[in-house]
Amino acid sequence: MSDQSGGWPLSSASTPTPTGRARVLVVDDEPEIGRAVQTGLAGASFEVAWAPTAADGIEQVSRWHPDVVILDLSLPDLDGLEVVREIRGWSRVPIVVLSVRGADADKISALELGADDYLTKPFSMGELLARIRVALRHSLQSASPSAALFTTGDLALDLERRTVTMAGAEVHLTPTEYEVLKYLALNAGKVVTHRTLLRAVWGPQYEDEAHYLRVFVGQLRRKLEPDPSRPRYLLTEPGIGYRLRSPDAPAPAPPTSSTPPSGR
Amino acid sequence: MRVLSRFILPPAHSPGMLAGRVRTALARRLSHLPRPLLEYGAALLGVAITTVVIAAILSVTPPVNLSLLYLIVVLWLAVTFGRWPAVAASVLAFLAYDFFFVPPLHGPTMDDPAEWISLSALLATALVLGQLTSAVRARADDAARSERRAATLYALSQLIASTPDLDSLLAALVGRVLTVFSSSGMTACCIILPDTAGNPIARALAPARDASAAPLSLATPEELAQARWTLEHGTSVGGLIAPREHPGDERLYYFIPLASGLRIVGVLGVAGAGTLQRLVEGLPARNDRAPALAARPERDPQTSLLAAFCEQIALALDRAMLQQQAIHAEALREGDRLKDAFLGSITHDLRTPLASITSATGSLLDPHAQLSNADRQALLSSIDISAARLNRLVGNLLDLSRLEAGVAAPERDWYLIGDVIATVLDRLELAGELGDRPIYLDEPADLPLVPMDHAQIEQVLTNLLENAVKYSPPSSPIHITARVDPTLSELEVIIRDEGIGIPPGELSAIFEKFYRIRNVELPWLSARPPSGTGLGLAISAAIVEAHGGRIWAESHPGAGTAIHFILPIPRDTPAGALPELGPAPAEAPPQRTGVSS
Repeated sequence: MSDQSGGWPLSSASTPTPTGRARVLVVDDEPEIGRAVQTGLAGASFEVAWAPTAADGIEQVSRWHPDVVILDLSLPDLDGLEVVREIRGWSRVPIVVLSVRGADADKISALELGADDYLTKPFSMGELLARIRVALRHSLQSASPSAALFTTGDLALDLERRTVTMAGAEVHLTPTEYEVLKYLALNAGKVVTHRTLLRAVWGPQYEDEAHYLRVFVGQLRRKLEPDPSRPRYLLTEPGIGYRLRSPDAPAPAPPTSSTPPSGR
Repeated sequence: MRVLSRFILPPAHSPGMLAGRVRTALARRLSHLPRPLLEYGAALLGVAITTVVIAAILSVTPPVNLSLLYLIVVLWLAVTFGRWPAVAASVLAFLAYDFFFVPPLHGPTMDDPAEWISLSALLATALVLGQLTSAVRARADDAARSERRAATLYALSQLIASTPDLDSLLAALVGRVLTVFSSSGMTACCIILPDTAGNPIARALAPARDASAAPLSLATPEELAQARWTLEHGTSVGGLIAPREHPGDERLYYFIPLASGLRIVGVLGVAGAGTLQRLVEGLPARNDRAPALAARPERDPQTSLLAAFCEQIALALDRAMLQQQAIHAEALREGDRLKDAFLGSITHDLRTPLASITSATGSLLDPHAQLSNADRQALLSSIDISAARLNRLVGNLLDLSRLEAGVAAPERDWYLIGDVIATVLDRLELAGELGDRPIYLDEPADLPLVPMDHAQIEQVLTNLLENAVKYSPPSSPIHITARVDPTLSELEVIIRDEGIGIPPGELSAIFEKFYRIRNVELPWLSARPPSGTGLGLAISAAIVEAHGGRIWAESHPGAGTAIHFILPIPRDTPAGALPELGPAPAEAPPQRTGVSS
């Protein structure tokens, strides 16, 4: 992974735009949010467009070819989930869902329809930028053949030799554990829902066994994590799935979530 | 178990007939009275013995008139059994002396007129003496009885005065009635109160498992109808319980109205042996003008005591129910007051950050303002802080609406509590709430999957940890413990801080809505009182209870607080595991259970 300077990821490689800057389309009907996101992203040297309706958003995706779409789920003319479905019909552009809806079911539906990530309002600009970068890097990775060596922090996967090392020491995994880790590594930084992971590793008949997956991941963490009770690599997205720490995450960072804290 | 005889409830329009039929039906069955037999037998025997004694004396002495000896028997009978046995003995003595000792012997006639006079004097003396003595005895009896009665009623009023809440009062009253009237054959007793719709509900019953108590629990429509009748019309009704095993041993039950003034506040249900009939059926009817305490002279003293009991109980119930209404109204008022205070503080809390945001943006937008970079930075960070505060407030308002509407039914799935704890700790850490304070996590690696709504339990853990942070010094540690009991039926989570603690009197109050510990000094929060709304723990408690668990606090002022909560683990915990894939030489058998490590 290349140039990280100035918070400007992968600009040289990411895209076929004339300006050399990644294009971000913001689909959100609230002008204030649209303006804030536009300003913030422009400040981080993205090229930004704003669409206030679903129809406008879908049209811009097809005409303007953004590199990432930021999509609000509550739009005046069409449900955001329908927009995801529509776009996925003909485009693989990364979609980051942005929503005030906090329910797990909404997030899971969006992810399973093909969205790449989600963020719950209120959010911080830093978080949004980080998610956009992960999405960009991921679209880049799937476009080019993936590297044989994956590293994040002290964790390294050699996809050719099927070995896993933590801080240089080899970790012995069962074939199943290795498959789980590999699937997460190929989607590093992205949320992988329980169903997706179960289907990818065990097959569709195990889709609904999320509780066993929790136990399984607990075991995997005990082999991998320096402190299994405070995971830093194999992160839980509560109620949704798992996320392997992104390779370009600044420090071992915990996941974020949205439930507002409450006082005594 | 029991067979109700068929006379019980007549058509609803003839309550008077009912009482009459009850009486005749019972009188026939209960006419055996052993007591007169004993009394008059004693009279006969006493006279006979005296006669033998007199005969014995006369056999060794010259003939004298010893008829006076009979007076001893008469006196004894008057003292022991009252007037009529004494009268009977006087007449018997007269006849016996005439028959055995006055010549001609063994005949009703007398030769000597002097004997006539002497024996008549004996009869008169015996009669008068018997009358006087029995009158004295009756008066002493009355005195003792009214003393007992006064003591019993006093004890009852003491009981009523010393029992604070309605349910324990009912239980105590039922127990007391049963003790006092068990000598009259009562074996079970209950108090029936109308619910809000006016339906009779057996509120207290003693003894609960007694067969004779069965009709008092209002299990059948018939008994329910009877209790309702008494409640609505204020007249007693009763019935028979005939245990099939002992056909001769019929038992009775009655529903007696409890009237306070003109209102029927409840029903006293009693059940017991046949002697109960005497006790209950002398009770004054409700339309009697005479007050119950002015007992009619021929009434059984126990009956008038029962009448007094009914009156006292009715008054107590009336008062207790009024008191309960008053307490309810007071609670509503207090709730309103707290809510007003809360809304007032919310309004204030909402305006303050908004004001600092608008003033900061005002300065930033002002084209004429001369702002240094540092000034801009300061204004921006104040906007940032205010926005975060607003977000928290919105969370609190959501909490309030959630609490008002009741916690949503948990959407349970099987989770590892460790995952949830880690999520919450990560989030708090990211928000900078934990600072650099040490967190000690103590959880076994083999904790089982436990059914929970992870979002709700996340909220509980968040609330508890935020409280621990708020009420303990910034560098003091927080201990989180998770464990299961040996039978794997409960998961217990403990969040313990080393902060200011909670005064013992407030340990349960802190789980109430809007409750906040008063007069807290938190030296580590300069000048600012701890923020919050007094809802976090109330919500946590509601969530834990919705999960079928429980939550409580343990604390010693100055030594920190430990909040414990328990989630039940059902028996059907999934114990399988996902299969291993492909060729796995060393690990061919799949993991045995979901909980092993």
